[in-house]
This record gives sequence, structure tokens and C-alpha cells, in this order.
Amino acid sequence: MSTKFAVDETIAVKPAPDKPGPEKPKADPLLKWAGVGGAAFFIFSLAQLDIDYRKLWEGTFEFIAMLGRMFPPDASQWGDVLSAAAESLQIAVVGTLTASLIAFALSFLAAENIAPSPGIAWALKGFASLLRSVPILVWALVYIVAVGMGPLPGILAIITHGVGMQIKLFAQSIEEVDEGVVEALRATGAGWLQIVLQGVLPAVWTALIAWCIMRFEGDIGDSTILGVVGAGGIGHELSRAMRLYQFDAGFFIVLIIFAMVFTVEMLGNRLKMAIRK
Amino acid sequence: MSSEQLTKAWRLKRMQTWMIVAGIAIVAAWSGIQTEFSIAETVAGFGELVRYLFTEFLPPDMTALPSLLGPALETLSISFVAMVAGSLISMVFAFLAAATTAPHPGVQVAVRSLAAILRNIPTLIWAVLLVSAYGLGPLVGVLALVLTSVGTLTRAFAEVLEEIDKGQLEAVRATGAGYFQVLGQAVFPQFLPGFIGWSLFKLEINVRSSAIIGMVGGGGLGFSIQTGLKLFQFKEVSMAILLVLVLVICTEFVTSRIRERLL
Repeated sequence: MSTKFAVDETIAVKPAPDKPGPEKPKADPLLKWAGVGGAAFFIFSLAQLDIDYRKLWEGTFEFIAMLGRMFPPDASQWGDVLSAAAESLQIAVVGTLTASLIAFALSFLAAENIAPSPGIAWALKGFASLLRSVPILVWALVYIVAVGMGPLPGILAIITHGVGMQIKLFAQSIEEVDEGVVEALRATGAGWLQIVLQGVLPAVWTALIAWCIMRFEGDIGDSTILGVVGAGGIGHELSRAMRLYQFDAGFFIVLIIFAMVFTVEMLGNRLKMAIRK
Repeated sequence: MSSEQLTKAWRLKRMQTWMIVAGIAIVAAWSGIQTEFSIAETVAGFGELVRYLFTEFLPPDMTALPSLLGPALETLSISFVAMVAGSLISMVFAFLAAATTAPHPGVQVAVRSLAAILRNIPTLIWAVLLVSAYGLGPLVGVLALVLTSVGTLTRAFAEVLEEIDKGQLEAVRATGAGYFQVLGQAVFPQFLPGFIGWSLFKLEINVRSSAIIGMVGGGGLGFSIQTGLKLFQFKEVSMAILLVLVLVICTEFVTSRIRERLL
């Protein structure tokens, strides 16, 4: 009896007027149409893709058989694999650092609150959005055409994509700086560089480093796939092993890739927490 | 804490910072030397590089547009089908992976580890593995994206489920509702905004990735880009890249509109 009363009380206490009611999403006409359109597009897509369901069925068995042949992982070519993994790591390190330095310089011109003119900020942001919207592997392929295969096109691809990402994120952090700080410095007659060094930089540098760590996490994942198209690193080893049907060797490479991505993510989370303190 | 201890702690923290900086510098130097990457050379060759790319790739070949619309639509279809299939599977997995709804802690750990494996192997690597079993074609693209979608969305949905307001569950249960009624009336309405929001976010990522998957034989625009490069049809390639851009930007626009209405 008493418990029931307690439950009733929680209902009475929690009318939650500030929260939108749970039925609101259904009532919105735009969302309703989006739902209908989405369902229609799903059916259209399935029809358009013309998926061979027998192939799906048979391929699944083949995939399971392939997974079976992957055990135990064949680590006999560990020397090649590990040096390729090291190359991936190097590509990510060089790429992240260079991209972050370039973006660091440009982001002060791209942040609307301290940019010398709004036109420059707008142009830089548009440029950054163009750089990051082209998939990284497309950049890699384009650079391979220009400079040939190897780690260089991989590094250039990561830099290009990274500059696009970092300008946006850096500028966002700079724009969040308290307007009062910038105003106060400006009132003392400080020049642009002084405002940046004395007012903006101390406020944003932890955020910028956190963004760099996040970018490195992304870049390490990207650097493992660049090799698939010939831009250096461990991806090349994997596509070679799979082409030669050396599934057990391929599995070893996948394990290494997983270990790399996972370790960087763990270390990154640790570092980010340490910085926030 | 005395001021002496404080300065000691400060000094320790400072030393740690410098050690991290030194470590990064050493790793960077090692990486730069090993990959033979020189900033000076890159800067020196940069103008030449840009000029080469501009003359070879621009302007985009507009006449290739009609033949690229099919692949563009295929890219969009692959991303969308993978998003729908991935989010439906993830919804079931999330119930098993959320601390509040998991039938057994063992199941929770198993599903979460599976999701972590699916998530931490890049989509393209999945595609390379899947091509060996399923052969070339858009099916590989869909499956590779479904796998990573399940990895990402299972974790995201499980977090949404764990944040659900228990008071509403209690309230519905107090009216005498059965298990499925509680699910439908209290759990689902709270789950829906997060479910749609995360699914749309994954759709954006899928559109970006599906352009890439084509390069290892997953169909769509990526395949057109790869073949164009092999045939040295660079101006057609830049048209295809332009279409990738249009797709990415349009998807972002639509999903952000829907998300705005939702929140």
C-alpha cells in the first residue's frame, strides 16, 4: 500500500514541463514525412541495389569458412608486418603533427571573433570544409597520381584531410573564448598578435591539444587503410595477403591493426583525461 | 597541503609535461626520418604539386555527369540500406548490452566486446575481408557498413537506454501495464530521439565511407573514381569527386534539419 503511494507521488512530483513530451516527435509533420520518405527510399534502394540474396546466403557460409581458415593466425611474416605497422604509425604521427601546425596557424584567421576580416574567416572555413569533405582515400589516390606510391601520398592525404578537420575544430574552440577577454585586451590598445598570445591562446590551448589527440586517433585508423590503395603502411600487407588467399596471415595483420587502433584510443582517452585536470 | 608540497607537485607536473613533449618530439623525428618526409622538400614542391593537380584534374568533365548519376545513387542506396539494417540490428544488441536491460552480465560483456571489435576495425578493412567471400559488388559495401554500424550504434544505443528515466517506467508499470506495454509506452518513446539522432549521424559517416569502399570493389562512386584513375581519365575523376562532395553536403543538410526538429 505504502509503496504504491510512493510511486503515485513520483508521478505527481515529475510533470517535467520543460522537457518535450515523448509523443512530440511523432506529431511533427516534417518528421512524419521524413519517416515516410525514408521508408520509401529504403524500398527503392533495396530494389536499386538488386542484392542477390542467394549470394548473401552462400557468401555468409563462405565467410564463416574463411574465418575458420584464419585460425590460427599466421605470424610467420611478422617482420614485414610490424615494419609496415610502424610505417602506418609514422604516417599518422607526421600527418597529424603537420596538419595541426598548419591548422593552428590558419585557425586564428578563421575564427570569427578575432579574424582580421570576416571575409577571410568565411573563405578559410569554406576551404576547410572542402578539404575534409573529400574522403581521405580519394586524396591518397589523387596524390599517388602526382607523386607516385609510398608513404608520401599517404602523409599528404592525412595532412590535407587533417587541415580541413582541425581548422574547423580549432576555430570553434577559439570562437568560444569569452568575448570580454578579447574586448578588455583590445581596450588596452593591444595589437592583434598580442590579443592572440595574451588573451586567446592561454584560454584555448588545452582544447586544441585535446583536438590533436582526437585527430591522431582518427588518423591512426586512416593510416592503416591507406596502404590498400598503395599509399604506404600496413593496409598494403593486408590486401596482398587476402589476394593470395593467405587468410591466416591476413588475420594476424587484422589483429595488429585492431591492436594499434585500440591502443591509441585507450592512450588517447587517458591523455585527454590528464589534460582536463 | 603546505606550499612546499604544492611547489613539489607543480614541479612534478611540469616535468611530466616536458617529458611528454620530448617524447612526442622524438617519435615525430623518428617518423619523419623513417618515412623520408621533409617539410622543406614538401613546401618546395608544393607549388608544382598544386599546379599539376589543377591542370590534370580541373575543370571537371561535365559530360561524364549522366554516366555518374547511377553510381552516385548506388552510393546513397548502399549507405541508406546499411544504416537501416545496422540500426535495427543494433537496437536488439543494445538491449542486450545496456546495464539496465541486459538479461545477464555475461551477455552484456560479450555483446559489448563484439561491438568493440566491429567498431575498431576500419570499414575498408572489413570490405577487403568480405570481398574474398562475397565477390565484387554493392553487397560487400552494404555488409561492411552494416558491421561497423552495428559496432558504433550498439554502444551509442546502449548508452541511450542506460540514461532512460526510470520514473516513467515505474509510472507506466504502476498502471498495471505488462512487459511489452511498458516497452512500448515508456521505454520506446524515450529511446526514439536518441535512436534516430545516432542513426542519422551514422548515415553521414556511411555516405563518406561508401565512396571509399567502392575502391576495393564495393560498387558506387568509389568504383568509378578507381577505374577513372586507372584509365587516366582525371577530369572524369574530379567530376566523380565533386558528386561525392554534393552527396556528403546534401546528406549533412537533410540530417541536420531532421535532428533540429527532433531535439
